[in-house]
Amino acid sequence: MPSMGQATIPTLTHRTLVGVETGADFAERHAQRVAGGLGPLEVTEVLQPLFAGRGFERGHVYGIAGEAPLSLLFALVARATMQGSWFALVDLERAGLLSAHEHGVALHRTVCVESGSLSAWPAVVGALVDGIDFVVVSSPVCSPSEARRIAARVKAQGSVLIILGKPGAFDIDATFSAHTRQWHFNTFASARTMDVVAHGRRVHGNRTCHVMLPSPTGAVCGVSS
Amino acid sequence: MTRSIAIVFPQWMQQHGSLGEEHAFTMFEHVVRAVTEVSPLVEVESVGTMLMAARGPSRYFGGEVAVAEHLHNVCAGAAPDAPFGVGIADSQFAAVVAAHLSQSRGTPCVIDQAITVQFLDAVPVRSLSRVGGITEETVDLLGRLGLPLCSAVRSIGESALIDRFGVEGKRVFALVSGHEVRHLVPGTPPSDFTRVMESESPLTGSLQVVASAHHTVQQLVHAISGYGQQCVRILITCETDHGEANSRIWGEPHGFGVAALSQRLMYQLDGWLTDITAIADAPTSGIVRIVFEPLECREVIATQPLLWGGHQENIERASRATAMAMAAGTGVQIFVPRWEGGRDVATVYARVPLALIDIANTRDGEQRVSVGAGVSRDWSGSLPRPSPAAIATTPATITVRDQQGNPVGVTSRHELNADPFVVEVQGHSYAVERVAGPWPVEERWWDTRRKRRHVRMQLLVRHARGGVGVFLVGLENHTWTLLARYD
Repeated sequence: MPSMGQATIPTLTHRTLVGVETGADFAERHAQRVAGGLGPLEVTEVLQPLFAGRGFERGHVYGIAGEAPLSLLFALVARATMQGSWFALVDLERAGLLSAHEHGVALHRTVCVESGSLSAWPAVVGALVDGIDFVVVSSPVCSPSEARRIAARVKAQGSVLIILGKPGAFDIDATFSAHTRQWHFNTFASARTMDVVAHGRRVHGNRTCHVMLPSPTGAVCGVSS
Repeated sequence: MTRSIAIVFPQWMQQHGSLGEEHAFTMFEHVVRAVTEVSPLVEVESVGTMLMAARGPSRYFGGEVAVAEHLHNVCAGAAPDAPFGVGIADSQFAAVVAAHLSQSRGTPCVIDQAITVQFLDAVPVRSLSRVGGITEETVDLLGRLGLPLCSAVRSIGESALIDRFGVEGKRVFALVSGHEVRHLVPGTPPSDFTRVMESESPLTGSLQVVASAHHTVQQLVHAISGYGQQCVRILITCETDHGEANSRIWGEPHGFGVAALSQRLMYQLDGWLTDITAIADAPTSGIVRIVFEPLECREVIATQPLLWGGHQENIERASRATAMAMAAGTGVQIFVPRWEGGRDVATVYARVPLALIDIANTRDGEQRVSVGAGVSRDWSGSLPRPSPAAIATTPATITVRDQQGNPVGVTSRHELNADPFVVEVQGHSYAVERVAGPWPVEERWWDTRRKRRHVRMQLLVRHARGGVGVFLVGLENHTWTLLARYD
């Protein structure tokens, strides 16, 4: 209670502070988004420790760095593509589609795009993020203004842009990087255990997980560390 | 009633389908072209089935028996090792059934007008789904209702069938009573939906033509769907700069979409432009004009394949986005994967141009990418699971050396002549820790031109800076290449 002499100073609550959001506000906003069909794009349970929600937050730009970027990519998007999300690989001819299939990616919702030229790249990626939930690009080369424009479209449409390798002019919300602990190599390469870490400006706390990527079946699976 | 001629090659897909549907279509086009010598307007409903009107050719050749025998000889000459049958009857369905009968007898089968109904009465109900285009479920239900033959189905009457099966019941009754479900009457297009694509400069190469015609095809499909209809039969005529023309009727019982129509145009052009066996009437110039003339449209039949587990909105958004991306630049190409099989990790999924695929069709899509039924991974030389995630599009040449610094090779018995010790990839040196393989692959050893002999192995390597990785390397013609990384 304000004392008698300081009656003119208003109480500072979170409602009056512009730009501050409490946990309760966030939970309310999150519930509204989920109810409106704009919930997170779910990832498989063993990789959920990397996310605050249960998967990719729509409208964000993610990066994948470190070792095994393609295996990690397939493992992360597999669940959502099975649930109806589309998946576009831009200028990633090297992506092994059989490996993607083994990870559980729905290949009938996968398109491989070749942008052809550097000048067409921003327009192509911009068009794709308008309607495809996961758009994956590799080490993009574009100007900061183009990168901002694409990021704005990602936010407006609620899709997810994933950047493999160097982010270039893009401002990344969260980056995943994997580090190999061990390859299980008896008669042939059968499995690999990896530590996956999420870091970046939208990641709070210590978000790591320890997985088998790939496991002997090709898909990701958890291991007790 | 319209007398129709049917020619069927029941085993065409089995004989020629191993290299994909396109290949089967292109091979079938050679036979279709031979038949067009007899009757210019031939309808190809699917690979292995041709239909045409009987009246014109039978007058020209002096009777139906004469034209059937002539067609029999033509087909035997065009495809000597494929079993086929020629049938003539009062309806298309009866003609196709007669053609199947003729295939087992080895002689043409002409069903006289007076006995067509009796002929159909003895046909088992199963044929309705196999050659009549009626769904399996309906035919199955008819069988379970105790109606094994077409005579039994006919005797329960049209109104009862329509009551129970709706539009399809009407079709069933028309088929079993020898009425025409569709009419094959040349020269009377029923609608004004015809669209023409004209090009200033002659277009060579089927992909180029299909790309230029894409806009026209889109306009046509939109115009028809604007009337709440869909096209089920269309006549496509291609003309060259020198006045040569090639016409073909295509049928699609489920209605033509943009992708399906582009695909048929592609098949037609592939057979014409790249047919090296018939140089006599191969075109001497590029294509300048294509006419799309819908012959038959029908009301859009409400199908609800997405009632359970559908993602209609996502599909629509994705197809709009890909169309916009294609329009974003001239060199933009979009591919979708299609299961091909084989041992090579780079080609086990082929990349098919999006223009030839209807991505809105989820069932087709699932079929397209599903791993071939009954194809086991354990054939000789196939790679063990898990598969490599990063595949080299143009494999880099590498060197594999043993402890003494000598290059490692493989003996004629597919055994390593020394243990690999170090691998050099584009200036980087990796120490080899473990080796799996070598796994030999001998492909087409019976064919002197196309035979291929190589070995593959997996190497567990450690980089000088400490990173561990697994490489898939191959040896062919004494050269080691880095085929893929287990990235």
